[in-house]
This record gives sequence, C-alpha cells and structure tokens, in this order.
Amino acid sequence: MTRRRLIVLALAILPVAVPRASAPAPTEAPRRIISLVPAVTQMLFAIGGGARVIAVSNYDQDPAEVKALPRVGGLLDPDTERILALRPDLVIVYEAQHELEQRLTQAHIRYYEYAHKNLANVMATMRALGDILGTGDAAEHVARGIEGRLQATAARVAGRPRPSVLLVLSRDPQSLRNIYANGGYGFLHDMIAIAGGRDVFDDVLRENVQPSTELILARRPEIIIELRYGAAAVGADDLSPWQALPSLPAVKNHKIYQLVGDRFVDAGPEVAEATEQFARTIHPEAFK
Amino acid sequence: MSRSSPLPARTDLRRRLLLTYGGFGIVAIAACLAAPLVGSTRISLAHAFSRSAPFADNVDAQIFFLARLPRVLAAAIIGASLAVSGAVFQALLRNPLASPDTLGVSGGAALGAMVAITFHIDVTLFGVPSIPAASFLGSLGALAIVYVLATARRRGLSSTTLLLAGVALNAFFSALVLFVQYFADFAETFRSVRWLMGSLDVAGYTPIVAVIPLLALSAAGFATLPRALDLLSLGGDAAAVRGVNVRRTERVALLSASLATGASVSIAGPISFVGIVVPHLVRLIVGADHRLVLPASALAGAALLVGCDVAARTLFSPLEIPVGVITALVGAPFFLYLLMRRS
Amino acid sequence: MLRAADVSFSYEAAPVLHRVSFVVSPGRIVGLLGPNGSGKTTLLRIMAGTLSPRSGSVQIDEADISTLSRRDVAKRLAVVPQETHSTFDFTVLDIVLMGRYPHLGAFELEGGSDLAIARDALAATGTLALEHRLFATLSGGEKQRVVIAGALAQASHALLLDEPTASLDLGYQLAIAQLLTRLNHDRGTTMLVSTHDLNFAASLCSELVLIRDGRIIAQGATDVVLTVSNVRAVYDVDAEVGYNARAGHVTVIPIARAH
Repeated sequence: MTRRRLIVLALAILPVAVPRASAPAPTEAPRRIISLVPAVTQMLFAIGGGARVIAVSNYDQDPAEVKALPRVGGLLDPDTERILALRPDLVIVYEAQHELEQRLTQAHIRYYEYAHKNLANVMATMRALGDILGTGDAAEHVARGIEGRLQATAARVAGRPRPSVLLVLSRDPQSLRNIYANGGYGFLHDMIAIAGGRDVFDDVLRENVQPSTELILARRPEIIIELRYGAAAVGADDLSPWQALPSLPAVKNHKIYQLVGDRFVDAGPEVAEATEQFARTIHPEAFK
Repeated sequence: MSRSSPLPARTDLRRRLLLTYGGFGIVAIAACLAAPLVGSTRISLAHAFSRSAPFADNVDAQIFFLARLPRVLAAAIIGASLAVSGAVFQALLRNPLASPDTLGVSGGAALGAMVAITFHIDVTLFGVPSIPAASFLGSLGALAIVYVLATARRRGLSSTTLLLAGVALNAFFSALVLFVQYFADFAETFRSVRWLMGSLDVAGYTPIVAVIPLLALSAAGFATLPRALDLLSLGGDAAAVRGVNVRRTERVALLSASLATGASVSIAGPISFVGIVVPHLVRLIVGADHRLVLPASALAGAALLVGCDVAARTLFSPLEIPVGVITALVGAPFFLYLLMRRS
Repeated sequence: MLRAADVSFSYEAAPVLHRVSFVVSPGRIVGLLGPNGSGKTTLLRIMAGTLSPRSGSVQIDEADISTLSRRDVAKRLAVVPQETHSTFDFTVLDIVLMGRYPHLGAFELEGGSDLAIARDALAATGTLALEHRLFATLSGGEKQRVVIAGALAQASHALLLDEPTASLDLGYQLAIAQLLTRLNHDRGTTMLVSTHDLNFAASLCSELVLIRDGRIIAQGATDVVLTVSNVRAVYDVDAEVGYNARAGHVTVIPIARAH
C-alpha cells in the first residue's frame, strides 16, 4: 500500500528547527546520496542530483526513477545497518532522527538535516542542496523558476477579495467527524495565501487544527477544499456530508472542492503547480 | 471502618428511590440544560431560537442545534450507558475494580475502528458510516467470544475465570490493534490514536439515532436486574438459594452491559474511567442497593460526561482536548483515592 | 419435611455420593457428620437444589425439588453457608431483607410486612442492635447470626446449614448451637446441619447421619448412633464416648488415630 502520506501530519508533530548540515564542508561533492525524505528526494532530482541518489525511504514514489532504488526505512524506523552498508557519503535525514545522526557521525558520514517549515524553506533547501552537491546553478535555476511561478500566481489573483478557506487534510468517511484542517503555519498556509485565499484558522499558529463542528460553524468558511492523497486518493468522491451544515457559506454557494494528488502535501518541487491549482480553485474567474 | 449507611436505614425504600431519582435527576438535567449554553464560540440564544431567519442561514441556531445539542445528548447517553454497564459488571464479576473495558468489549470495538481507519473501509452499513459500524462489529465479536467462554460450562459462570479471560482478550485485542497499526501510515496512525482518545463531537443526530435502539434493548435488560444483582454480589450459590435464576441473571447482565458498552464505544471511542468511577461515587452516596445504584449511576454518569465534555471543548478553545483525556485526568486520581481508602 | 431418596452423584468419573437416603422430619434437627471429603457439602448442595443428583431425588414437603422453580424452593428452604462475603457495603438489614427476594414480585419493593419479618428475624438471632451496621465490619460470629436471621426471614420452617461454625472460635460455636436449639424450640424450625464437629452435633442434633466416602455408615437417634465403633468407622479415630451430665448430651473425646 501507499505510505507516502506522512508528510503533512507527521511533521506537524515534530519540533521545528533550523536545517543544518553536519561536519565541516568537505572538499569533494557527495556522489552516493541516501534520502529518507521524499520531498527532498524530489528536490535532488529536480536540481540535477538524481543520478547520485542510491537509496530512498520506504515512502518515496516520485520521480519514477526511485522505484528501482533500495529502500532503507522511514522516519520512525530507519534501517541504520542497511544505510551504513550502502556506503553513502551524504544522508538526508529528518530533524527528529537524532539517533541516526549519532550513528552517522560515528561512521564519519555526512548528513543533511531536513526540517519541515514554510514555503520559502522549499527554495532555501534546494539552494542549500545545490551548494552541497556542486550543482548550485541548476538549483538556483529551479528555485527561481518556482519563485517566478508563485509570483505569477500571486499576480493573477492580486486585488481580488480573499475568501476564507477551510483546507481539510483528512476526515472520517461519510461523516464530518475527526476533521484535520490546515492551520495558520506551514507551507500549505503560505500556498493558500499566495493563491488568494485566507485560511479560516489563520490565527491558530499550528500546522493543523482538529476543529469541532461548532468551530467550523463559527468560522463560516467561504470555500472548503478537501485534499486527497496517498491511498485515500482512490477513495470515493463523497463531499455530501457537508450538506449537514447548510449555514456555511461554502455549502450554501456550492464551493466545496476536492483536489487529488500528492503534490499538495509534498513540500517539493511541485509547490508552484500545487499553488496554481489552489488559485484556480479559489479564483476560477482569474484564469478565464 | 465502622460507619452506618449514609442515608437513614431502609425505613422507606420508596422515599430513598424518590430521593435518588430526584437528586441525581436534577443534577443530570441541570448539566444537560447548561452544557449547550457554553462552547468555544459565543452565540445569542435569542437568535438561535428566533424564527425570523431561516434555519439554513441561522448560524447561532446551527451551532446550538447541530453542534452542541447532539454533543450533549451523546455525552449524556454514553455517560449513562458506561456508568450503568460498569456497575453491572462490578456486581456480575463480584469485583469492585471491574469496568466496561474489563471483558474486552472495548478492545474489540477499538480493533474494528482501527481496521476501518487503516484499510480505508468506505462502505456504510444501514446508513451508519464505516468507522462506527466496524467498531460496533468488533465489539460484537468480542462479546461473542466472552459469551461462549462464560456459558461453556453448564453451571453459572466463574467470575475469576471470566476476569482472567477478559485480561487475555484485552491483551489479544491490544496486540491486534498494534498489528493493524503497523500497516498504517503516519496520517492513519494519527487518526487511530485520536480515535482511541474518545470524542463526543458526533456532528449531528444520526449516530445517536443509530445507537438508541441498542441502548433501549440494554436498558430493558438492566431494568430486570437490580435486585438479582444485589443477591448475586453475595455469590452465585447464595443468590440461587434465595430464589434468583442465576444463569438467566448472569446472561442478561453480560449481554446488556456488553451491548451498551459496544454501542457507546462505537460512536465515541473508548472513554475511560466513567464506567469504573461513577458506580463507586454513587455507592458512597446511596449505599449498595442496586435499585438505587443503577439509576443513580446512569444519571451521575450522564452529568459527569456532559461536564467533562464542556471542559474538553472550552478549556483551550479553539483547540479541543479529547474528552477521554479529561475523564481519565479527573477519574484516575479519584480512583487512586478510592483504592487507598479501601486498603 | 426433607427427604433424600437414593441420591447418587459423581464429578466426572469420580463417585461422590452413592445411593444416599434419609429423612429430616418436620421440627427435627438432623446432623450430617463425616470427615473432609466425605461428600457432605455436595449432599447439602443437592438438598438445596443448586446441584442436580446423577440419580435419585430430593423432596421438600412431598414435592420433587427438580419440579420446583428456584423461587418456590427458596420459599420453603433457606441455606446458611460456612461463610458469607459481601462485595459491596450492604448493611445488616440489607442482608436480611435479601431473604425476602422469593416472596416479592419482579419489581415489587419490600413493604412494611417484610421489614417487620426482617426485624423479627434479627431479634430472634440477637442482632437487632446491629441492623444499621455494615455487614462487612461484623465479626465472624455476628455475621453468621445475621445470615441465619436472613435465612429465617426467607423460609423460617426449614434451614440447611453447611458447617455453620467451621470458621468460628469456641465461644461463638457454643452461641450458635444455643441459638439454633432455641430457634428449633421456639419456632419449630427444621434443620439439616452438616459438620465435622462431633460435640457440636451431639449438643444440637436429635438425629445423625454419618457418611464416609459418599456412603451412609449409620443413621438414627444421636445417642444410638454416636458410638465408639461408629466414630472409628467414620473417622479412623479411637475415642471415648459418654454421656456428660453437665453438658446434657453425649460427648466425644478423641484419644488416638486408630490403626
């Protein structure tokens, strides 16, 4: 089964820290890279380092080239032995994987610590990786490209009213129970803002919120966007439970949408495309 | 310890029944009336009940009738069911530490929910969404196992055997829950953990309507039990020689309490400690007679869970604390106090 | 009247009782004597109807016990076990009123007459002063008297007592013997008392049934049955048996294990 969905929710519970690379910069660029972070794997391929990736996490699916690569565990269960046996010279780890970092330090293997942060961090990470890999120019090119597209999206929706958006990350099937919604912090929050929306939980400075029915009614979202990704992406297209709350402007005005795809929860090189899709959903008239 | 019964002796059982129903009833009704008035948001009651705006446009009315009222009702019926089930299990197993979770019914319900969450089972059963439906089926599976174990021997059930069977079943279900969770990705695990903390935000009346027939069936079973449970608490033979049909009483008690527990857990998740603490609290006030303990437990359980849910949804609003966390935070220290007092 | 007719019983393959027959006539106290494991408790459970015999039958007042409901049996016959434990904090009056269970309808509450019967039973056993105490806080002897009161409130004309003094010390043993004698005298209560205490039985019972290994060794009037040879046959013990004028009944002094 697909297990890629970890990004948004998994990282929401992790402490946020500034990403840092270990050890003094070596003279040589790494040639054998292992990435435990799917979003970073995609970045590595995007900035021209794909050929050097020798192994990835159990959750990696994109790009297609990773399908043939060895798998070395995930956030909670990295296969340290396997990682060491593959003799990498750079390992991309999560900020929380302290134990793995210690083992790598003992083995004199360089690591890059990835922390999940805001949208700007996606481009910053690409540039930092470009420096490490010696593909700085390519990284700069890709990062600028993304920034350009984001600016273009922002320009398209500029001057329009900013409707309040309830971004639903998951809920129980066939009911409005156990809703996880996007909060006032993180790359998804930034993407909604660029796309010309205002998150209904802007004021809650967390990556996600578990709002009660009452809270949703009180916040009166004008647009509801449900994300479907990973295994749930193949599920039924059932938005009817929202009809139980007819006073919501989004329900009254039939502005309930579903966006399918992992790009919406991966803070990777496709953030610009994802942001544009948000913008097309929130402001369809701007793209006519 | 040498104290007499807290209420004047059974000079008039009728009077004590009236006092019990009246006193606990007032508390429960007050809790149910007050609870919908508070929440994470401020609403105007006058507007909520006003007919000037159509319901579809009346946010205050929707918050009151769609968000708060179903929640309060769910808390009341689940608190009542769990507390009565706990009291019945304590008498049936002749063990004051028994609770609705003791025989593994909640464990089975949790397993059902975990399977539905992890494997994205997305079909409704008689209009009930998949997670509560799977959870209820899980509790029925656990009940079937317990029932077969309990009735395998022709002579009444052995409370020690049943307690040990409960321990084994709970371990077995916990292992299966962990096993299922091993297949879950992070988002699913997160939702599973959230389910295990319990929640009363039923978001409408459908789940309540779905469990009412089951709880009514349990209530009918409970109604036949109180006096027989008094005698059963002295032991199976002691009850039999006083004229109790022990086998029938034990079966009705086991089925009613398990059904009520399974139905409650399926819509709210496992809410701990209500089922064990409330009966003890009630006995301190009304004494040991189950004709008083069962109704008082129902009313006190309803009031307690309604109150805990108010705390859950207002203390850190707009964030919400899982109600199971509140009941355990309130219940565990009280339970420890009771344990110290016993020993 | 209580009658065992040709009662046999076995747990799995192990025979426990073999064709046991005896009668407890109205108003009599009959002792059931035998060593540990002789089948006394099993026989008493069969007499109470909580265990069914493999073959044979038990009759209460000419009615076969297997044809009566639990409730009907309980109205005619009450049981006093060796010990009674209460899981919850019931008062003494609560425990005695539980004896009224078979006399009340499914949802009927105890009324004034039930309360009067319960108080009368408490008075008869000298425990009326304890009525508001918690049962669990009583001494062993007090508990036993309260349970006897409950049995009287339930069915005052016939009691089965299973080793009622086994967990009591000497003083309480004598007090219970006196209480039972007085109840029998005042109320004509019929009793079947199992015990392994020969002197307790001799002080209380007008008739004895001696059993060993599930078979009746001897039965009849106490002073006829309680002999040196029967004591040896039942217990493998050499004893002095004689009438004690001060006690007013036969007494048994064990001397040595017989070979």
